[in-house]
Amino acid sequence: MDSMPAAPEVIYNWVDITSDFFKYIQDLQLGELLHDGHLFGLFEAMSAIEMMDPKMDTGMLCNRGNPKPINFQQAVACGKLKIDNLEPSEIIGIIDATMACIVSWLEGHSLAQTVFTNLYLHQPHSIINKTLKAYCIAVYKLLDCIKDCINKAQVFEEEDFLPMGYGYRLGSNPTMGNAYDVSLEVSEQKCTAMLKEQEEELNKKARSNDDEANDLWAALAARIRFTRMFYQALLKITKKDSQSGADCVTLLNGCSEMIKVIIKTVGKGTQPAENSDTPNPMGFEPMVNQRLLPPTFPRYTRIKPRAEALQYFEELVTRLRHAWKITSCTNFHTALDFFMEFSRQRACILSRSALQLLYLSPSPASTSISLGSNVPPGQRPHAFVEILRESVKTFVNPPALSGKTASGVNPPARELVENFLSRCVRPFTVLVQVCGHNRARQRDKLALLLDEFAALQEEADNVDALIGTAAELVPRCFSTWILYHVVRVMIAYLLSGLELELYSVHEYHYIFWYLYDFLYRWLLSALGQAETLAGDVRRDKKATNRKQKKKVRPYARERLMCQVMQNMCGGYYKALVAFKLQGKIRQPQSEFDNESVRYKHRFAPLSVLSPPQVHYHEFCEMTQNLQFEKPVFLYLEGCKHFQEARTLLETITIPDQEVNNLLKVAKTNFVVLKLLAGGHKKNSSTPPEFDFSAHRHFPIIKLV
Amino acid sequence: MSSTTLTPVGDPKVIEELEGKAKLRKWLNMNFRIEMTDGRVLIGVFLCTDRDANVILGACSEYLKSSDGETEEPRLLGLVMVPGRHIVSIQLDNTNPPQKYFYDE
Repeated sequence: MDSMPAAPEVIYNWVDITSDFFKYIQDLQLGELLHDGHLFGLFEAMSAIEMMDPKMDTGMLCNRGNPKPINFQQAVACGKLKIDNLEPSEIIGIIDATMACIVSWLEGHSLAQTVFTNLYLHQPHSIINKTLKAYCIAVYKLLDCIKDCINKAQVFEEEDFLPMGYGYRLGSNPTMGNAYDVSLEVSEQKCTAMLKEQEEELNKKARSNDDEANDLWAALAARIRFTRMFYQALLKITKKDSQSGADCVTLLNGCSEMIKVIIKTVGKGTQPAENSDTPNPMGFEPMVNQRLLPPTFPRYTRIKPRAEALQYFEELVTRLRHAWKITSCTNFHTALDFFMEFSRQRACILSRSALQLLYLSPSPASTSISLGSNVPPGQRPHAFVEILRESVKTFVNPPALSGKTASGVNPPARELVENFLSRCVRPFTVLVQVCGHNRARQRDKLALLLDEFAALQEEADNVDALIGTAAELVPRCFSTWILYHVVRVMIAYLLSGLELELYSVHEYHYIFWYLYDFLYRWLLSALGQAETLAGDVRRDKKATNRKQKKKVRPYARERLMCQVMQNMCGGYYKALVAFKLQGKIRQPQSEFDNESVRYKHRFAPLSVLSPPQVHYHEFCEMTQNLQFEKPVFLYLEGCKHFQEARTLLETITIPDQEVNNLLKVAKTNFVVLKLLAGGHKKNSSTPPEFDFSAHRHFPIIKLV
Repeated sequence: MSSTTLTPVGDPKVIEELEGKAKLRKWLNMNFRIEMTDGRVLIGVFLCTDRDANVILGACSEYLKSSDGETEEPRLLGLVMVPGRHIVSIQLDNTNPPQKYFYDE
């Protein structure tokens, strides 16, 4: 600011018009706007920031009685900020508050309003207390590493994470603004060494002191140790190298232990004053960065309470440990299932990002864009191609990939297959990436992805056809593989609408019909075909691969789940038609409604793919018979479906949470439909309720 | 607006009404300095108002009232609506003739 040339001084000549103004406005009608119609209208008026509105006016809070926020030097000068001779409880308070700030940042708030309200972080090198200094420098490094991890994975949206740094220099030289000093450079090794040194010091103190003080020192040592191990683990995840595996697991396990100690000792630190906005009595100035923020920015961020923040860290570490298991998923299908399951648990942004990096680092989605769809021959293909190749091989085992049959050595066929696989890289990595996004964002991204898969389908058909002419008889291997994934994406797309509560009840029947009559059916047939294809080839050339021989029906569980889902959908569909016939479902007024338009809109993203979309008129034709059925009959049919789903689920020997939830839904709905079939509430037109609390996609039907 | 222009102009009360509005209209696009109940001062171009004295200022800057006499950099806010109940005083800058941003047809 100082370097800018001074603007010419504006001289005003102010004349007070307050009383005139308030007199004149009385001439306006209620609701009338006096404005210059040429330049300014209601539209502009609506976009103005409202002053004195606590949500819109950033300048408001900082002026209300509070003195101007003070910066590091001022705080030190006036004795508000101790940089030496801190009590251990004070340092614990500062560390816990900083952790709460980090959590608030990870929940989508700005750095300026969270972590950098900590004045110590403004000049970490000026701190004399060695423990605090090491911690503050480590926080810089940790923030940098977190940001790096999230940026690399690219699975965040504006609601997940704010990457802005507001001029704080994260990374190797923790200073603020432009003051760059080479001597203050801190490398990763130096940072961890500093923390380690402090850890040892503190442990020594803990041993040498009497009971009470000893607890405090030990609590502080745990915090420093946690910071170091968390930082190191995250570094290993972000800059993944293959040797670090065991290390990283040990570090994360250590983090788990330490965070338990930290949670237990949360009371040892200085606590924030009651009803105070400041996360710790000393060292935090919530408004210090207010001027760095744009005028329309949410003015004020509530920092997460300490206990909750520490629990967040504990869960985060658990999630990271879980995410690590992806490294042992060699098969693409298991990996994909892992990603979907991980996403279902609504993991936080950092663990979602870490999971992406652990599986695909660096992301082939970004590299393959620059490569284009045609990888020049001779260039080393990305490792992900190998993953996909393995996936196709285990799924359908095409002769073209087995390497032993004629077509395997046939150069044009091989090239064809290679080209196809390299084209698959982008859509499939994007699929993995989509699974990393937050649940609400996945739906739109899946719809976009379907377009890309449509192109792949065509390609797969071509490859199958061309190889077919090259060899004598080749089944539709690649098409089956693609079909399987396409149908899964379609199902995920439709189901996400239920999870996000986008459909109205009167739309449910065609959603469930589509899932029941088509998507799950196609998925089952794709799985069946895959099993035959893979099985065929295996029988042909016995015992070439011992590993594959062991698995006789590799998709038994998946098929079973698929049948369960199909039956559930069938049950809902029949029940919904019966409800409709009995007038139990509120229909929109016909003049404002067009079912065909809505139907088209709901299934629009599926229209680009094969198998072709089932159109509305087909839906009408195929389902009109049901309109003449007796509701009782339909309820019984639905009952049978839920019964079937239940029986299938009960055959699973080791049920997980998902299976138990589905079982609960199927059992309850079975009973409800049985009651309905028996004539229960036959004449009531009260609409049934659909309760999604037991399962996000499959509701429990409730009669009220 | 249309209802007032349609009323016959004989009534003295109506003439006064029109005067009030005409005065306000003259002030449009001039610089206003508004002091708010929390002590902040806003300087911007007067764009719009209504019966409740809600005022919209364009290209508005916020000046903090400095108790220690030190003048701080103003903060640029842009388009701002000041609710009438938060206005303490309004001043008008009469140094320059009001800039015309448009020409009547």
